[in-house]
Amino acid sequence: MPRIASILKVPAVGVALGFAFLSTAQSSAQATAPSAATQPATHEVVDEMGRSVRVPVSPSRVVSLAPSLTETVYALGLQGHLVGDTEYCDYPPEARKKPKVGGAINPNLEEIVALHPDLVLVTKSLNRLETVRALDVLGIPSYATDPHTVEEIISSTQKLADLLGAPVAGKTLSVELQNRLATLETRLAGIPPTRVLFIVWTEPLMSVGKDTFIADALRKAGAVSIVDSTRDWPQMNLEEVVRLQPDCLVFASSHSEAAARDFAALADRPGWRLLEAVHNHHYAVISDAVNRPAPRIVSAIEELAHQLHPAVFQETGAPGKDASPVREPTLPPAKPAAAWLRAPASTMATEFSCAL
Amino acid sequence: MRPLTLTRLLLRCTMLLGVLFVVVVIALKLGAVQVSLYGLGRDLVRVLLGHSSGISTDYGMIVMDIRLPRILLGIVVGASLSVAGASFQALLRNPLADPYVLGVSSGAAVGAILALIAENDLALSPEMAGVITPLGAFLGAAITIAAVYLLGLRDGQIDSSTLLLGGIITASFLSAVIIFLMSTLGGSNLRGTVFWLMGDLSTPQPRSLLYLLSFGFLVAAGAIYTTAADLNLLLAGEKEAMHLGVDVPRVRIVVYLAASILTGLAVSVSGTIGYVGLLVPHLMRLIFGSDHRMLLPASAIGGAIVLVIADTLARTVAAPSDLSVGAVTALVGAPFFIYLLRRRNA
Repeated sequence: MPRIASILKVPAVGVALGFAFLSTAQSSAQATAPSAATQPATHEVVDEMGRSVRVPVSPSRVVSLAPSLTETVYALGLQGHLVGDTEYCDYPPEARKKPKVGGAINPNLEEIVALHPDLVLVTKSLNRLETVRALDVLGIPSYATDPHTVEEIISSTQKLADLLGAPVAGKTLSVELQNRLATLETRLAGIPPTRVLFIVWTEPLMSVGKDTFIADALRKAGAVSIVDSTRDWPQMNLEEVVRLQPDCLVFASSHSEAAARDFAALADRPGWRLLEAVHNHHYAVISDAVNRPAPRIVSAIEELAHQLHPAVFQETGAPGKDASPVREPTLPPAKPAAAWLRAPASTMATEFSCAL
Repeated sequence: MRPLTLTRLLLRCTMLLGVLFVVVVIALKLGAVQVSLYGLGRDLVRVLLGHSSGISTDYGMIVMDIRLPRILLGIVVGASLSVAGASFQALLRNPLADPYVLGVSSGAAVGAILALIAENDLALSPEMAGVITPLGAFLGAAITIAAVYLLGLRDGQIDSSTLLLGGIITASFLSAVIIFLMSTLGGSNLRGTVFWLMGDLSTPQPRSLLYLLSFGFLVAAGAIYTTAADLNLLLAGEKEAMHLGVDVPRVRIVVYLAASILTGLAVSVSGTIGYVGLLVPHLMRLIFGSDHRMLLPASAIGGAIVLVIADTLARTVAAPSDLSVGAVTALVGAPFFIYLLRRRNA
């Protein structure tokens, strides 16, 4: 019998052949790809992650990989250039009809390539770095945003408008947003901020850290988060929350009835009962727009300001449409404990995973 | 069973390679974007003949730049995991042994997470940033391999059962470290880590890394193959093998190190993909018997086939979203393992 161990390993040859094939294939694919020089008018910009990227002067086929970016593109009136977005891009409702490239965290590279984008928009807080690197490898320009405050959301919107060749629309939008924030600031001047607990998730209890744009949005709305953490999504100890005694709980939900049910369920929970805010039914429900770093966050800020400080806005007919005071009287009857099982809001759970 | 001859070995390997080729062609065709079999065949021929200018950029990018590298990564990772699994099962004389049982994957995971944390603090060039996670994972795996090896030493020699227990304990300790590290990680790092822990082939790796990986596979798998005949004798027991003239300590060290390196390489680029290293060697043993001269190459090709199929499912089942390939292998692998187990007992 021949000594088989000494022969060259067969699968090894297969793999080696495979790689030889890959190298031919890739070098040839690079040769066929249109080089940057033949495409008209590109320029180099630095994105908010500090990367220098070469992008077309006015991109005409844009893919957005985050709901907030999709919203921003629509707010700038540039939806005509948007050729694809993610499955979570649900605002404005028309955005649902755009071709989908998968989720924000696991988009499908093939679908992106098939849409022939000349620019892909990503955001550091939601997309994965691996996605950006994959796009680099494929030679598709990507631009990353990374806003951490409400001001940065506005300036980021302006930069995006410049990038997409619509600086005027960007200027108009950002001036409008700045004015609304300035009005709010004048109104709230001298009013002591309400100490709030922003609830991302109730089980486990998660809130927002002080360096997030949500914490900044709370400040703009005349509130201050009791959470003093540098982490983005700190998991809170209920004991600590009881010690800090927030004046008001803030929920972000697109369904205020669902949030009201959640709150009622909270009142039955051991520990939560000890919170003055729960005992006194001090809670506010604002649009889930607050979870997304997009222009719409200003509306959510106004909404919260009206709910937290109704007296300030009473005399002169406030701009916010459905502003209502902190819901003291409208408490739904307390639910039996079983309701808790589905309570911490399947809505909130999905929003947390999809939003931003 | 007829004795294994070189002809029979080559014949069987060729057959398996044929299956792999068919699977690769199907995997190249399937995906979120439709590609016709005719167009695919025409373009593959063009590429092989060097007439690549006729290929549309869409095909070029989707098939050649996205699907093919991913499939090749699946081939190398699948082959590495399966060969490592077959080797550990022989070395530890334990049918439940798999590449991860000795804590290698947990060590790699700790390394990868630490690299992700460090990545934020170090200002790295884009080229460096792409390889820091695989690098961290490989270092983590290497340190764990060394630590478990020292744990497994008894009177200067590797003791199989001590090695196994030491590995299991190391793995569970490192899992606790992973949970601790993850609870301190912020948003975008955490997402990357979760993907990594679930096993993921979707991230295109730099080509140099692919070359390095296949080179490592060839060296390590080749080293294991030199001990194939000894592994057969080891099946009868370590003492018996020693009486038959096998240098058992040397075989143990070579197989342990080479299989660990295979695991470390695979884990560093793909995260933790379970069940391939456990199941494929069992399946191949059922088909081809337990002669390691046949089992090792069969496991390598079989592992490649299985992982390419699993990754194709991961790409297509929930299209346009990608699933984690680790989720697919676990979903299919666990019931299949139970089936194999019951079948053997019956």
